[in-house]
Amino acid sequence: MRLGHGRWRRDAALHATGALEGPERAAVAAHLESCAECAQEVAELRAALDLVAQDPLRSARPPIPLAALVTRVNARLDEATPARPGWRPVWVAAGVAAVALVAVLGREALRPGVPAAIPSSAPSRPTAAHTSASSDALNRLEHTLERERAARYLTEAGDVLVTVASAPQRCARRAHAVEVGEEAERSRELLAQRRLFVEPDAASVVAARDVLDDVEDMLRQVAALDPCARPQDLEAIRGEIARRHLLMKIDLMTRELQG
Amino acid sequence: MTEPSDRDLMARLAAGDREALAPLMERHHARLYRIALAYLRRPDDALDVVQETFVKAYVHAARWDRGSEVVPWLTRIAVNQAIDSYRRGRRRRLSEEPLDETAALGLAVDDPSPERRTMGREISERVGAALRGLPERQRAVFVLRHYDELSLEEIARALDMSLGTVKSSLHRAVHRMRERLAGVRP
Repeated sequence: MRLGHGRWRRDAALHATGALEGPERAAVAAHLESCAECAQEVAELRAALDLVAQDPLRSARPPIPLAALVTRVNARLDEATPARPGWRPVWVAAGVAAVALVAVLGREALRPGVPAAIPSSAPSRPTAAHTSASSDALNRLEHTLERERAARYLTEAGDVLVTVASAPQRCARRAHAVEVGEEAERSRELLAQRRLFVEPDAASVVAARDVLDDVEDMLRQVAALDPCARPQDLEAIRGEIARRHLLMKIDLMTRELQG
Repeated sequence: MTEPSDRDLMARLAAGDREALAPLMERHHARLYRIALAYLRRPDDALDVVQETFVKAYVHAARWDRGSEVVPWLTRIAVNQAIDSYRRGRRRRLSEEPLDETAALGLAVDDPSPERRTMGREISERVGAALRGLPERQRAVFVLRHYDELSLEEIARALDMSLGTVKSSLHRAVHRMRERLAGVRP
């Protein structure tokens, strides 16, 4: 494939996946008719993709029935959120539900000054005690999820910085330049997503704030790079990553956040 | 009576109605399982991913933007769960036996002949090895395209990536897959 075929190379690969539509698809198809080299490339890519199409996992079905999976999800939620009266899920066997109902009615009837609750299939208002317990459990789960999100953000940012710090590919469009277009774009996406990943004032990730700020600073530098960057610009970023021991900090903080 | 839409069910989850989980799972669990299995290549891990996806869907339902589509939202949760699961398992797997992808095959094809089973197993092992060689996000893009047949725009929405990044990721992934599958014949 010749150097001038950079654009066609990408589009030919997308054409081979069947992902192009409309004018883009027509343009590539027309190009393939006049370019034997690209047509050969598409044929080779399609041969590989034909293998993927024969992967039996493409038609795999879950190994347990849906009802069992629903039970697993409900059990997992029960661990974090104690069951609320009137919220008996449909998957509980009728006998178990009846026993529970009797227990709830009996307990409520024995409480002084509290009228017995009338259970129904519709969600009813939880008691203060249940609300408090559920709220605590949900808060704990929220904190865990906040930490997981922060860990994921750091890992994804780490992936970008590792690529930048290693040896990106030579840029086909400019001599003596390196290709960092994808890393620059991914950095911009991560910067835009930081507030989605990490709550600005979340107490659960406060220990990670310094590392997050360092990461954000480096992502800004990568995001500002030309897609065909000068090697010296990349070298400056590499030096800064090394000086701050940033990759090590990311790794340690990610592990801490993941518990 | 018309079936409730995905958005209706999400609104019920947001209001704390757990009974909305079952119909939502019925619609989406098989698809999310295939995505997770294609990514992780382990049925048990894939099942855990589906389970945790719906746990998170319930926990975060109140935050879900009612104007947004449910399918990309669930897909994004599942892919992120699969990536997290892969990272957690990476170190664990180093000290374990090689991946056994054949466990899923008996569930994948209805009564295949022994020859087809053997061939399918070999292809699955080679494709799995090739997929594991892709960077995490490229693998996610590739899986959504070739195991869930999403369009480029749908992938961009599901992974919260720009269309340009999806295109470059898919292009790189396809070339890497070709290199790694060179010489394999069905």
